[in-house]
Amino acid sequence: MSILDKLEKINKEGQKEIFDASSLEELESARVSFLGKKGKLTAVLKSLGDLSPNERPAVGKKANEVRQFIESVISKRRKELESEALGRKLEEEVVDITLPGKRSPVGKRHLITQIINEITDIFIGLGYRVAKGPEVETEYYNFDALNTPADHPARSLMDTLYTQKDGVLLRTHTSPVQVRVMEKTLPPVYIIAPGRAYRRDVPDPTHSPMFHQVEGLAVDKNITFGDLKGTLEVFAKQMFGADRKVRLRPHFFPFTEPSAEVDVSCIMCDGKGCRVCSGVGWLEILGAGMVDPNVLSGVGYDPEEVSGFAFGMGVERIAMLKYRVNDIRLFYENDLRFLEQF
Amino acid sequence: MRVSLNWLKDYVDFNISVEELVEKLNLSGTAVESVQYPGKDLENIVVGQIKKIEPHPNADKLVVCQVNVDTEELTIVCGAKNMKEGDKVPVALIGAILPNGMEIKKTKLRGVESRGMMCSAIELNLGEDASGLMILESELTVGDKLGRVLNLEDVVLELEITPNRPDCLGMIGIAREVAIVTGGKLKKPAIEIKEVAELAKDFASVEIMDADLCPRYVARIIKDVKIGPSPQWFQQRLKAVGLRPINNVVDITNYVMWETSQPLHAFDYEKLKDGKIIVRRAGNGETILTLDDVERQLDDSILVITDPSGPVALAGVMGGTTSEVSENTTTILLESAHFKPANIMRTSRGLGLISESSLRFERGIDPNGTVFAADRAAQLMAELAGGKVLKGIIDVYPKKIMPRTLKLRANRVNEILGTDLPVGEMDKILESLGFDVSKAENDTQLDILVPTFRPDLEREIDLIEEIARVYGYNRIQSTLPESSGKQGGLSLSQQVEKRIKSSFIASGFWETINYSFVAPNFYEKIRLDKKHPLATCISLKNPLSEEQSVLRTTLIPGLLDVVKRNVNRDIYNISVFEMGKVFRPALKKELPDEPLMVAGAATGSWGEDQWFGKRQSIDFFDAKGVIENLLATLGIEDWFLQRALYPTFHPGKCAELFINNKVAGVFGEIHPEVNTVYGFPSKVVVFELFVSELVSCAELLAHFEGIPRYPGISLDISLIVDEKISNEQIAKVIRTTEGKLLKEVRLFDLYTGKNIPTGKKSLAYSLTYRASDRTLTDEEAMKVQKQIIAVLEKNLGAEIRVS
Repeated sequence: MSILDKLEKINKEGQKEIFDASSLEELESARVSFLGKKGKLTAVLKSLGDLSPNERPAVGKKANEVRQFIESVISKRRKELESEALGRKLEEEVVDITLPGKRSPVGKRHLITQIINEITDIFIGLGYRVAKGPEVETEYYNFDALNTPADHPARSLMDTLYTQKDGVLLRTHTSPVQVRVMEKTLPPVYIIAPGRAYRRDVPDPTHSPMFHQVEGLAVDKNITFGDLKGTLEVFAKQMFGADRKVRLRPHFFPFTEPSAEVDVSCIMCDGKGCRVCSGVGWLEILGAGMVDPNVLSGVGYDPEEVSGFAFGMGVERIAMLKYRVNDIRLFYENDLRFLEQF
Repeated sequence: MRVSLNWLKDYVDFNISVEELVEKLNLSGTAVESVQYPGKDLENIVVGQIKKIEPHPNADKLVVCQVNVDTEELTIVCGAKNMKEGDKVPVALIGAILPNGMEIKKTKLRGVESRGMMCSAIELNLGEDASGLMILESELTVGDKLGRVLNLEDVVLELEITPNRPDCLGMIGIAREVAIVTGGKLKKPAIEIKEVAELAKDFASVEIMDADLCPRYVARIIKDVKIGPSPQWFQQRLKAVGLRPINNVVDITNYVMWETSQPLHAFDYEKLKDGKIIVRRAGNGETILTLDDVERQLDDSILVITDPSGPVALAGVMGGTTSEVSENTTTILLESAHFKPANIMRTSRGLGLISESSLRFERGIDPNGTVFAADRAAQLMAELAGGKVLKGIIDVYPKKIMPRTLKLRANRVNEILGTDLPVGEMDKILESLGFDVSKAENDTQLDILVPTFRPDLEREIDLIEEIARVYGYNRIQSTLPESSGKQGGLSLSQQVEKRIKSSFIASGFWETINYSFVAPNFYEKIRLDKKHPLATCISLKNPLSEEQSVLRTTLIPGLLDVVKRNVNRDIYNISVFEMGKVFRPALKKELPDEPLMVAGAATGSWGEDQWFGKRQSIDFFDAKGVIENLLATLGIEDWFLQRALYPTFHPGKCAELFINNKVAGVFGEIHPEVNTVYGFPSKVVVFELFVSELVSCAELLAHFEGIPRYPGISLDISLIVDEKISNEQIAKVIRTTEGKLLKEVRLFDLYTGKNIPTGKKSLAYSLTYRASDRTLTDEEAMKVQKQIIAVLEKNLGAEIRVS
């Protein structure tokens, strides 16, 4: 057999063996058996020196062709095998994507805090700052300074929680903050005051001895009742939805005049009448009014120079309306199954 | 205040639907709380006539009646005994629903089919009589609806009258409001009294000894009254508004009170000694038996109506039994007085006795309406009780209370309301309210004479409110304040407070809100001694319950209660926090200190065991991790911990947090005894921090440092030291030995037990070295590492393990 024939034979055998290799290992042993130090092709290449100068160029050329060819076949086959191997590996790695995910523990703000934050953000956008005041208050700030008559029933031991110290009580609303802020600041004053308030109400689904209010106060030159309406409308639309309507009904509070109770069109039925609004289409959400001149002069403001409006809303009530929570006591039980819902 | 529209139409004509009226009242300040349709109860109940009564074939106690209801004759089985053939009775037809909710259906009673039901008064809610059928007047037409023939078809409004509107505690006051909102005309009842020749003043006299409490006392004498029931229509009106008919004279006083808002009282004149009324403060020790049969102890703060023998009535609150009108009464002394609101309120509250009369007097009744009310009642006593009204009215009114004059600046109205109302419109509104208005020359100011039935109107602003509510709040244009100088935003401390909450939430804690009041033994439950500062708290004078009778001085008991409540409901993995005030008595200050605290409690593990692994149970280091997260969030770097002994905490697992060398709080595992008190199934960790310390040390502005440009080298050290040596001690030695290249020290293993001698522990640290200006070589890092090892060996007696 001529050396060229031999090379051709090696070429064919090599191709077959490489082609038949079913794993990277087999491919490697095929490579070694042809191209390795003791490989068949290597042996031929090593024997080139024994050839006559006439034969050498042709054989050398052919041998190189065969080597390149086998190498390229090996490389092609390797890619195929590698891709097959990867395919198998990936298949083995398939997971059940329906297994539960690995979640890190999370907590949340209490619903009351969420609502207060929502209200606060709206009023910050309208240029208000947030004020705070003591929860244990004097009768002066809670009642007197707010123009509440000395014999007003709200002052009674039936309605208000008092401490053992005379004239010291748990504030019954966040309104005393108005007075404290005005005493310390000159107009313009634009504040809201969120916080706890207390009344001597026996707990039941709609009453709690402790609850939260957000008080609002704007005192400036030329503040009008129209400004109060406009402000509350902006608030109601942002809080309850752009389609909400607002209406004011005349009411009586000792510390505002004119005073109003404020209704928003029902957030469930949009005013058509449903169970949530007892069929009337409106939900009462807050009390408001123009700051009584007595309150302004009480803090040293001149009611002829400045005027103002104030409003107060119950946070629990808003939360209950918005989320249809049916029992106010749930807010203070802090059952995790309740907290997790919001 | 209940208002019957049938009755109201006596005083005002209006021609709008009930719905419209309700809307208009609501929007003008008279809130309608409910609307009731009393006649609606009697739908499908008609007048029937009993044609025949026969015994029931199968039952002794029942009878079978043939009843004509005009359209047909019905067979009705009945158990009553009081009727006879020919009687007219109410018949509930098939489909009728009785006031108690019972629906009338065709039914068989002991084998006889009954097609309807004849009713008693109580079954129709028309009286108390349950003894038998309600026998109707014989003139009624068979087949007519009972509601119509008895004038029961009415609309009753339940109105919320605000405390500033005593005038609206009478139908005439309501009618005035209705007239304003509907444009109708107010019609006060016309008074016509035929007086007899005898003079009232010859019969009786009135003396006011304490005019400060009783500015006016009006009396009339009506004789020859025949006490008996009031006519049906009259009783019907009283019942419609919730008053119980008693007898004609008492009913008239109630009726006129409801009409005018002026409370009246009728005395049996014969029982008043010498016909003499003396109004005075009670003497200490005096008593009176009031109409509700309670013996009342009096004192000199209480105003009484007396005769020369003693008290006969509690002024403005309730009459006494000795002078009560009875069926034998023939002569009435009718009182229509004015009492000072504050004193009536005091008496009523003091005695715990609230009456329709006291409710009105304590709001402030028109002192100049007394004569009208007395005349009106006298007129009705003549008409309905056959009385003869004696000539003249006894009127003791030492100092007449005059209508108030108020000035109203037109521009002020528009300034406050943001309106552009012309003066003429204001004038019109005020006159519609019944005020006398006169314009000042320049047309910018109005002078208003406010009638005495509106004691609430004392200032210009009160009139502005009247104009606003009558004009209509909802017609006022909405605007926003035009101020230039306002800037919204949160203060620094409010921002930090928000961040604190965010940090705990990110650490897996749920925010809770707990009551500010706790049980007085709260401190015992958390192992505090009575002398512990936190045991001194503010207690309430009038708590709702013992459980809520003192103010909290720490948030921890509230949070432990939350844990307890959840555990009781089979929830065992709990991590909760609260930010809120605590209340600590402050000497020499009027109000207590109210530091804002943030506290948390956690127990169980971070969730349930999962398919990928078990959850570790929460311990001291979870609490510490949460606090480290918080400090990092707030940019607080200058902090350290100190082992601390707090009675509430496990003595070996409790640490005080110091920030800038000041105590900022405490955390740790609660004491096993506390655990037992609460009955927790596993250990609970707790922390409580002063928000003010966190706020004052928080650094919200982060310091930027360039990202390292050269790689670092991490080398591990594993060492065995005495058990008593703390991690902090080791880390400190490591850090202080070399301060330039060493960037990070991280403990990654802690081990005691097998292969480690008793009394020793093994720790392993990873140390990261880096230079900021070049790539560090292994040799440089090794050099420093060797130095550190040498110091650890020397200073802490550490034995370095070669791994």
